[in-house]
Amino acid sequence: MKPHSGRLWVNYLALGLATACALFGLGLLFLILYDIVSHGLTSLSISLLTQDPAGPLGRGGLKGAFLGQGLLTLMAALVGVPLGVLGGTYLAEYGRDKKFSKVIISLCDLAMSLPSIVIGIFVYSILVKPLGGFNGWAGSAALAVIMVPLVMRTTESMLSMVPWTLREAALALGSPYYQVIIKIVYRQAASGILTGILLAIARVAGETAPLMFTSFNNNYFELNLNRPMPSVTVSIYQYAGSPFDAWIGQAWAAALMVTVVVLFLNILGRLLVKVKKA
Amino acid sequence: MSHEPAEAELKDLITIEELCFFFGDNQVLKNINMPIRDKSITSLIGPSGCGKTTLLRCFNRMHDLYPNNHYEGRIRMENRNILDKGQDLIWLRSRLGMVFQKPTPFPMSIYDNIAYGLKLKKITNRSIVRDLVEKALRQANLWTEVKDRLKESALGLSGGQQQRLSIARSLAVNPLVLLFDEATSALDPISSAKIEEMMVELKKDVTMVVVTHNMQQAARISDYTALMYLGSLVEYGETNDIFTRPKMKMTEQYVAGHFG
Ligand SMILES: Nc1ncnc2c1ncn2[C@@H]1O[C@H](COP(=O)(O)OP(=O)(O)OP(=O)(O)O)[C@@H](O)[C@H]1O
Ligand SMILES: [Mg+2]
Repeated sequence: MKPHSGRLWVNYLALGLATACALFGLGLLFLILYDIVSHGLTSLSISLLTQDPAGPLGRGGLKGAFLGQGLLTLMAALVGVPLGVLGGTYLAEYGRDKKFSKVIISLCDLAMSLPSIVIGIFVYSILVKPLGGFNGWAGSAALAVIMVPLVMRTTESMLSMVPWTLREAALALGSPYYQVIIKIVYRQAASGILTGILLAIARVAGETAPLMFTSFNNNYFELNLNRPMPSVTVSIYQYAGSPFDAWIGQAWAAALMVTVVVLFLNILGRLLVKVKKA
Repeated sequence: MSHEPAEAELKDLITIEELCFFFGDNQVLKNINMPIRDKSITSLIGPSGCGKTTLLRCFNRMHDLYPNNHYEGRIRMENRNILDKGQDLIWLRSRLGMVFQKPTPFPMSIYDNIAYGLKLKKITNRSIVRDLVEKALRQANLWTEVKDRLKESALGLSGGQQQRLSIARSLAVNPLVLLFDEATSALDPISSAKIEEMMVELKKDVTMVVVTHNMQQAARISDYTALMYLGSLVEYGETNDIFTRPKMKMTEQYVAGHFG
């Protein structure tokens, strides 16, 4: 029994350390959440969503910024999701044994760990400077560039998890390959792909840096993508750094909203996977 | 009552001539010559790794899915060579159905699983589709078990039911030939018996090639048996002859369970 008890101790030690680290991380997370919720709730009011910005003393809101962020994210998703899904389909299906695909997958992984400010500067140099000013298109493009590798990679891995025998069975019936993909493989992987899309949207919905270099900000209600676009995250950045209590309060409230939306998208994504497994 | 056709009446539906197959540089099938007789069951037997699955997958050109494989020789069917480079694989695969070792239900309803192949053949008239779905499920001995739950997901069926569903799905497109790769090896004896019963019943419409490790099964259901070893055909003949008076010593030992 002696040698056993030694290993047992090492086991307890490792378990204890791991648990402590996990608790520390969780604790920090809850501290941040607590901070956002407690500060955010005190300043949260419906006028945040319904009113245009006012001076530092008035009771304004960030209506334009919320709409602008929504529009930027929507435009980004309209481009990023199809590109990502189709790209992922190429990687997992048509190009699965090709060297080219392995290179693309590595590049995707690299792009995913790139600081988003780098993407902001890149888009600035091709869509802001040449066009003569900040604009909504550039903001959407920056978000789309962040989304594509995320969606592509999750799509690729979800499709790769669909067993080959399923494709073979469909092909053996005389089905053309594209139909096998659309009608069977996509269906089998649907919840996983959807989760990937939601997580990618959640990821870009909270981005600030790439927007500061592209769509910048705008104090007015704006739906024209040719002009600078207001966004919640950049507004938070600007308001939080201001000396005015009313603006700082609005920044907290807006931060709470962004957190809730991102959290909601994440939870929705996880639930989808659960539903699928059940 | 019609009698079983005598051997002379069974024509060769398919003839395999000098067939070789390579995975890259690795030759897995070596100069195979044998017929597949029309409206009969042919068993492929032999020790693990001898090339049964590989041979079966030559018939519907499943190997084409993966790179660096190549075929030599010919598989003739209806005046064509299945292995021709220009062969229309969609057409070919709709003529030769395949049932795999593990059931392969599609992630959709029981009804849609069967209707899938019909849509491929552009059969869309609802009442015709409904009739054909029912016919296929009846042929696969599954109809009575699922007729009240056709709209439910096929993934909720038992393993044995899923396997019969896979068979019904293949039958729905009205194939000339059905290829079975150890289709009953993962099933309980009752499910397996149901499928055997169905195969014998199907013989009047469809020609079947069956890979099996179960000697009793081969003896029970098949009309012809081929024994393979290390990629070569050892002996081909009527099942009765293979099991009772084989020409080769190796066949005698194999069917008696003395090697493999
Ligand atoms: N994808 C592949 N790539 C390379 N070699 C392969 C591949 N598939 C099978 N082989 C080889 O081909 C030979 C025949 O395999 P095959 O699967 O046809 O055997 P089998 O008779 O069906 O065996 P079992 O009874 O175990 O299913 C084996 O030596 C196997 O290692
Ligand atoms: Mg096999």
